[in-house]
Amino acid sequence: MDFSLQPDTPEISKFRAEVRAWLEQNMRGSEHLRWSARWSTRENDEEYQFRRRLAAKLGQKGWLFPTFPVQYGGAGLSLDHQFVLETEIDRYGLPLGAVFYTLARLVAPAVLKFGTEAQKQEFLPPMLRGEPAVWQVLTEPQGGSDVATCQTKAIRDGDYYIVNGQKTMVGHHLPPDFLWTLVCTNPGGKRHENLGWLYIPANLPGVTIQHLHLMMGIKNSVFFDNVRVPVKYLVGGENNGWKVANSYLELEHGGGGSVTENPLFKRLITHCEKTEFDGESLMEDQDVRDVIADMLIDLDVQRLMGLRNFWHRYVRDPHPYGGPQFLYYQRMVRLRNSERVQQILGYDALAPDSSVHEEADFEYTVRAGPGWMHGGGTLDTDRLIIARRLGLGRPSQESAPTTV
Amino acid sequence: MDLKLNEDQSMLKKVAGDFLKAEAPSYVITDWFQKKIAYIPELYKKAATVGWLGMVIPEEFGGGGTSYTDCAVVFEEIGRGPLPGPYFTSGVLSPLLILEGGTDAQKKTLIPKICDGSSIIIPAISDDPIQWGARAVQTRLVKANGGFALNGKKRFVFDAEAATSFICAARTDSGEVALVLVERNAHGVSVQHQRGFMIGAAEVSFDNVAVAAADVFGDINSGWAVVERASMKAIPILCAYKVGACQEIFEMTNEYTRTRVVFGQPIGRFQRVQDHCVDISIHLDGARWITYETLWKVDSGIYADANVHQAKAVASEAYYQSCNFSHMVFAGPGTDYKHPLMAHSVLAHTLYQYLGTPLYHKRAMVDALYPRRTSKSAVRS
Repeated sequence: MDFSLQPDTPEISKFRAEVRAWLEQNMRGSEHLRWSARWSTRENDEEYQFRRRLAAKLGQKGWLFPTFPVQYGGAGLSLDHQFVLETEIDRYGLPLGAVFYTLARLVAPAVLKFGTEAQKQEFLPPMLRGEPAVWQVLTEPQGGSDVATCQTKAIRDGDYYIVNGQKTMVGHHLPPDFLWTLVCTNPGGKRHENLGWLYIPANLPGVTIQHLHLMMGIKNSVFFDNVRVPVKYLVGGENNGWKVANSYLELEHGGGGSVTENPLFKRLITHCEKTEFDGESLMEDQDVRDVIADMLIDLDVQRLMGLRNFWHRYVRDPHPYGGPQFLYYQRMVRLRNSERVQQILGYDALAPDSSVHEEADFEYTVRAGPGWMHGGGTLDTDRLIIARRLGLGRPSQESAPTTV
Repeated sequence: MDLKLNEDQSMLKKVAGDFLKAEAPSYVITDWFQKKIAYIPELYKKAATVGWLGMVIPEEFGGGGTSYTDCAVVFEEIGRGPLPGPYFTSGVLSPLLILEGGTDAQKKTLIPKICDGSSIIIPAISDDPIQWGARAVQTRLVKANGGFALNGKKRFVFDAEAATSFICAARTDSGEVALVLVERNAHGVSVQHQRGFMIGAAEVSFDNVAVAAADVFGDINSGWAVVERASMKAIPILCAYKVGACQEIFEMTNEYTRTRVVFGQPIGRFQRVQDHCVDISIHLDGARWITYETLWKVDSGIYADANVHQAKAVASEAYYQSCNFSHMVFAGPGTDYKHPLMAHSVLAHTLYQYLGTPLYHKRAMVDALYPRRTSKSAVRS
């Protein structure tokens, strides 16, 4: 086995040197920026603009989607190259998949797999260039984790779908360009065979977006009131939406894996080394060290589960239950860490420090524990999916969808 | 990056799995555990012929010269049994202790016999039942008659009953730790089987045992450093054994949820039951990947002390917790000593203590990563 993230073939080292030099040049001027979290409410406009410009520059080289075909704006590179890009940009505290606020990383693979040639040629190049901000718009007020119960209707009317309904708990504080949406294309049809995927331009008349102020930040409700969406935006064909969903929800549900580091732990250690209590630093206190030990173990297991899923995805051999297992574990770890920082820091854990990256902020960590347990389905949904993949109480095991 | 077994490893895994199926099927192992039989001499000899003893030891000493990961693949398979016997103690830890601390003469005479199975040398390190580490060594080694005299009592020595000799840790006159070789049948050595919720442990007493100067390993006061170096290499193999045990528990528990019907449906349809299996999966996979990443570091020559401590803590807890979650699923029948789960349950408790508890290793992990600045707090707690 080889767990190293730094492949050392001559070709790859050359590519790493190229990427590192490119980033040094193109990250210039960002030294004072903090790189807030992926979906932060604390960034300033300067940071946002920098990220959009950077995304555009990376997109120009095909580096936002390095393994995508060149004809759609990808770089046609290998898994090893993708590793290099992900780890090199992570050195700046930015995740490659979300250099700026978009979920195109989830949408583009689905379009590549299920789109028609015309759709690929129209939708992919802008996404791969890092231009549109795309929201994933799934949850409905009555449905919650039960996404397939979708009540938002899209009824065919000539060259258009007329969309009516409401989604909630979606997006973030900045406006979207496109909404990637599950809709009901056949209201009388059988469950799982009555849905369609619509890629809806957010500026169409009848789309209304309202902020929701939640424990972990800002999300939104989206209302569709007789929105006329051209049929070319239906991806995967009529009533085939569940299949499209399954391929890419596995990505959202942890199946994509991850190779990045956790910034919270590093900051906690620095804090404990600097903070004095009873004549010595917190880091010398055995109780503090014991909490840190448990936290480190949790984070390392999480890191390795992410690494495992990443590897399974790229060798095109989906782990049977690794995706939902990672998601479940990550949320439980976040919840435990929420209490751990309170145990170590006392009241300081409840006071935000807006000068740091959101994921490294203690107050955010406290809120994010209980707050981020539900995105993409509840903890209990995760466990249900794992149980089906393990075939518990069933004669056969449900297989993991191939991630795209 | 490559997280699958290579061809050789897949072959080792298959051979080990087939060996176990033929020589020690689950019902046989369950029976051994029930009767507290922790050493089966004929099987140990067969294991020697297939090369399981001293796998990681260089070929010049009669070992297999394999990587640590290769060896772990075999131990994972025998952990599924769980096959009892001194495979780890005499087959991995002792030869590593001798390699790290022995003189050339000691290496040449002792290690080949370990590898061919004719000697079973068992480490007898801590005296104190509640601790691990140098401070748990209390047996005394004092100068006498041109050699030494050994006095003390080690209450829980794992695999002691199989021993032909011991590597015994003892305090010297200067208060440091020495390692000495003691024949099991030497005058003053007694081995007393320990009863209780454990397997393979015995009390070993040393009553004025004469030790020749030639039977002291290396520099007399460097014993603990030798234990540390050898255990940093050996422990990941033990972790792999526990990973295999967790894998077996995971599969057998999942299977039971399909076949056991109550309240009119297979119990695996109950979400509370599913939760127990999900929890086992997390303990299993956490232990698996922490262990194999550590093995990769050991094989690659990357400093891995913190990882080894982490692996020991995680794998011991995983084994223990997997048993408990499995007990929740198997309920009453799983508490019968005739049930395969009981072999695991007894062994998981024994190995939880062996070579240091999870708490000890978590603390050692943090100490390895963030050394303490003051000696004052080092003695706290």
